[in-house]
Amino acid sequence: MTYRLGVDVGGTFTDLVLVDATGAARTRKLLSTTGNYADAIIAGARALLLDAGAPAADVREIIHGTTVATNAILERRGARTGLITTEGFRDLLEIGRLRLARLYDLNFERPAPLVPRRWRREVRERMNHRGEVVTPLDRESVVEAVDRLLAEGVESIAVCLLHAWANGEHERAIGAIVRERAPGVGVTLSSEILPEMREFERTSTAVTNAYVMPVLDRYLGRLEHEIRALGTRAPVLVMQSNGGVMTAESGRRRPVHVIESGPAAGVIATAALARRVGAPNAISIDMGGTTAKASVIEAGAITRAGEFEIGGVVSQGSRLNKGSGFLLRVPAIDIAEVGAGGGSIVTIDDAGAIHVGPRSAGATPGPVCYDAGGTDVTLTDANVCLGYLHPERLPSGLRLNPEKSRRAVADQVASRLGLSLEDAAYGVYLLGCAGMARAVRAVTIERGRDPRDFVLVAFGGNGPLFAAEMARSLEIGTIVVPPAPGVFSAVGLLEAEVEHHLVRTFLRTLQATPPAEIAAAVAALEREAEGLLRDEGYAARPEITRSADCKYQGQSFELTVPLPGRLDGSTARELAETFGREHERTYGHRADADPIQLVNLRVTARMPRQGGAAAVRAGAGRAGAGGERLAYFGAAHGALRTPVLARGDLGAVWRPGPLLVDEYDATTLVPPGCAARRDEHDDIVIRTGG
Amino acid sequence: MPPRDVGDPILLELIKNALDAIVDEMAIALVRTAYSNNLKNAMDMSCALCDAEGRLIAQGLTLPLHLGSIPDAMAQVRRKFVGRIEPGDVFILNDPFEGGTHLPDFYIFKPIFLDGGLVGWSASIGHQLDVGGKTPGGNGCDATEIFQEGLRIPPLKLYDAGRPVDAIFDLIDRNVRVPRQVLGDVRSQVAACLTGERGYLGLIARYGVERLAACTTALLDQAERLARHAISAMPDGAYTFTDWIDDDGIDPDPIPITVTITVAGDRMVADFTGSAPQVKGAINSPLPFTKSAVYACVRHLIGGEPPNNEGYFRPIEVIAPAGTVVNPVPPAAVAARGLTGFRMANTMFGALAQIAPDRVFACEMGGDTGVSFGGYDAERRPFVFLEFLFGSWGGRPTRDGVDACSSAVVNFSNNPIEVIESEYPILIERYGYVPDSGGPGTFRGGLALVRQYRFLAREATLQLRTDRRSHLPYGLAGGHPGTPSANLLNPGTPDERVLPAKCTISVQHGDVFRHVLGGAGGWGDPRARDPELVRRDVMEEKITPEYALRHYGVTITPQP
Repeated sequence: MTYRLGVDVGGTFTDLVLVDATGAARTRKLLSTTGNYADAIIAGARALLLDAGAPAADVREIIHGTTVATNAILERRGARTGLITTEGFRDLLEIGRLRLARLYDLNFERPAPLVPRRWRREVRERMNHRGEVVTPLDRESVVEAVDRLLAEGVESIAVCLLHAWANGEHERAIGAIVRERAPGVGVTLSSEILPEMREFERTSTAVTNAYVMPVLDRYLGRLEHEIRALGTRAPVLVMQSNGGVMTAESGRRRPVHVIESGPAAGVIATAALARRVGAPNAISIDMGGTTAKASVIEAGAITRAGEFEIGGVVSQGSRLNKGSGFLLRVPAIDIAEVGAGGGSIVTIDDAGAIHVGPRSAGATPGPVCYDAGGTDVTLTDANVCLGYLHPERLPSGLRLNPEKSRRAVADQVASRLGLSLEDAAYGVYLLGCAGMARAVRAVTIERGRDPRDFVLVAFGGNGPLFAAEMARSLEIGTIVVPPAPGVFSAVGLLEAEVEHHLVRTFLRTLQATPPAEIAAAVAALEREAEGLLRDEGYAARPEITRSADCKYQGQSFELTVPLPGRLDGSTARELAETFGREHERTYGHRADADPIQLVNLRVTARMPRQGGAAAVRAGAGRAGAGGERLAYFGAAHGALRTPVLARGDLGAVWRPGPLLVDEYDATTLVPPGCAARRDEHDDIVIRTGG
Repeated sequence: MPPRDVGDPILLELIKNALDAIVDEMAIALVRTAYSNNLKNAMDMSCALCDAEGRLIAQGLTLPLHLGSIPDAMAQVRRKFVGRIEPGDVFILNDPFEGGTHLPDFYIFKPIFLDGGLVGWSASIGHQLDVGGKTPGGNGCDATEIFQEGLRIPPLKLYDAGRPVDAIFDLIDRNVRVPRQVLGDVRSQVAACLTGERGYLGLIARYGVERLAACTTALLDQAERLARHAISAMPDGAYTFTDWIDDDGIDPDPIPITVTITVAGDRMVADFTGSAPQVKGAINSPLPFTKSAVYACVRHLIGGEPPNNEGYFRPIEVIAPAGTVVNPVPPAAVAARGLTGFRMANTMFGALAQIAPDRVFACEMGGDTGVSFGGYDAERRPFVFLEFLFGSWGGRPTRDGVDACSSAVVNFSNNPIEVIESEYPILIERYGYVPDSGGPGTFRGGLALVRQYRFLAREATLQLRTDRRSHLPYGLAGGHPGTPSANLLNPGTPDERVLPAKCTISVQHGDVFRHVLGGAGGWGDPRARDPELVRRDVMEEKITPEYALRHYGVTITPQP
């Protein structure tokens, strides 16, 4: 028997899923070992292998999702990083785009840049937007800048020059000088990591890559070493923010691509589930302790965003107000994150309005019911008061003190709003649903998609508890809660494919560009992608998809549309029509008389999974649940005696709510008016129509 | 979902979030489809929803200085077209004496109907790249009457019962320098209104007209309550502050802006009596803009998360005598009134600092500077480049001012250099901090920024709106004022020339223009500054060791 191992390392928990060739899965949830994350991974892997009675040598593939890079940024434990840039522009990184992430807040502060001003050095050179040299590179100024940085003990250097997207010559020359003078120092060239127009976005991306490079290099190196010591020669693959995986070796060179590694895996898992249940359109909602993360699968395809911010305050709303974190312009799965999770704190303002989040009680001190020093009411406390959670223990075994929750909700919420304890708690619960809905809206309604056309896939520790009620508010008809919802992201790792996304800015007017020129540029990108795969040891021909970012000339924001398969005489017409349609779908109008500008060409190269590995089956437990709890469902229903089931107790026929399904990783709530059944893949399917 | 009671705070929160999401969607639709840099990159625009009575019930988190002007514009449209508002209509205006604030800001309103009844309005404001007139970019300081400033549009129907009114489109097309961009941006503004209409009707479908109306009324009341609560907590009294504009670009005299804020119980009056009479130059601020500046500043002292609606204006009265620079009468020129807007905000914050000395920052620096550059490229195609430059925040009672960020009363972005260079005959040669700038203080003012342009068109017109040369951004609580701004043509060459703060000049291929923004004011006695912060600034090369010694009395050896 052969096995594959998925490992998802988060800040609190390390989740492992070991799958055999038939698809049968074994799962483990361990506390993460923050000193050396590899410790928990190795311990978990040993336990699972022991459980399976399998030697380590039978593990043929290890796929890893990690927050190591994210945490290095959040905790500012990255490398001492230097930046070399064009004379006159060393402050670009710090100035950013100027916008305030919050309005009306005189205490506003941006995080200090990852490279302090002293380590941002300028060199004499200049290109223009056509890639022509305006001022030749002054090598002496480069040597001076590099030596200065080396004297400061910099371990990693990012090079980002103006218009390097159009011509990377000067950056490459600087890279060579750095390597020559300091072979041990990591080098990131903006023209290699992101050959795309817009200097701040490119600088920020290159700097972040440089900042995490030595950290990830050490981490992945050590992990591979320890995995080898375990006795397996399986390749170690790393999940990228865009949902594809790459070899650990590539991850060490292009770490900026693995920043949102963990959340991406959940969406991959959702896409696989959606295929399995035959739902082309699905929304994933992953709700944990601090945030709710939503993403969309449309016509079977994951949606991707061109950029995201890391390390900012979790925004409970406006996508307009960027600037609180570090901007990364790399393809990532488009995930909207809202500060609403089980630990989100409930507050009441001076006008008597009630708010949930974005502040979270986290794991320490945690919700009031954890009885670990937390005093602020959280969503979890409301859920305890409502009878949704087992009053004395969470399924994972954590003991709770329900009386403390009740007292806190009564004092802090109910009395101030003049509501009964139950109604206050139920109100808090609905606001939790509203927060979750905001994440879902951000990826649906705000992008012109109607959530009613989607199936909702709910996971994470709290997703299955809020999903059905939230779905009702957006009129989503069907919710699917997969088996082992709490480790679903680790399952997703095993569904991912090796994938590389490449982009090149190609500023041309569509109507005035010979198709052969487009074809040549695309072919060059394809060769580059195939080269990357070859270097990683993949010999087979990859699946290639091509797309172009287009806009009406004069606009600043592009829409990505697929490129026609054959690039010939009709290319311009076809692409114009596709773009016009997409513009109209997204914004409600099109401007056929305006010239269309091509901005970027994109190529994705994907290695299909060999032999179609069997779908992962986590199975339906029968243990643990039973009996009933008195649960409150608002004034319309009041308190209802609600059966508590194990997943395996559900059958193929619809069973009306209210129901609670208690499992090892999560509790699923089926409110009154909804109904649930178990499908042939052991998913819990909930319909909101009753 | 069982229907929720109108008095239910949870329903209110749900509807407030939904309204916010709709106005955000409007703003995103506008930005992503806009053509001019000032809209698509700098985000000089706003989107809003009003109820059937024209009350502002939600504004996207875009531009606070626009927020307070929407009710007045809305009132003009409703007054003029009473009884003639039909489904499918779209209204437009830019006349500063009939609802607008200066000609480049186009206000576009779309009434929202359900079953033949008016249920609300969606609105967008966009700062257009050009409106004709004597100066490209529409922000010239040198006009002396509104008639010189470009195309003046009273409230008119842009669409009549769903049909575009071609006459208006044709008039705009013939009167602006860059019609493709302006009309494209008008379309974006209309698209934003359609987005708003769709969202608002969706909300009605879910909650019903009556319940939604009751909730929006309750949300207006909630904002009012929060404002009254905040004002009640302020000590009663009268607080006067005066700040200055150096000159209007025509007359050399300094222009005082004076405000007296009177707090009495839960009410506040901002009285601009004592401010200068209206001036010849184009920096007069129409009343709606003056009110907006007051509301935007006061909002910084209202805690909690008040809904973004006009309810919080209610306890605040604005007095601005007619015929002054803060409430001009026709035919005053107003194109560059943005400068006065920022100065009114500085003045308001100066007075608010007396009310809440532990919360308000020393004078920020940003927004005064507008640079436009217009002409014809090698193929005789017209171009207009326009951008506003922002600097830094003043020192604060607990921390330094932010180095490089938007002014607090707007929320602008800068324009990406690589985008500018690929769209305009301009090379940006420098953009960064000016070390040893900003006002010293226990918490120092943010640094000045410098931006340098090299012009590559054969010949073009450069128009500047700048200030803060003699009247510097003020310090507070013993903090020193910030540093002055500067305009230089061809710096470091034999042709070097200091340009006036406000001017319109002709430039040739290869000319270089450098603008140094003012530095922001400091807070508290510089000698009380933590030497560690001084050391950090030296290490960061934000100040020199000599400056550290001179202003802070701290000796730093530059080596770490």
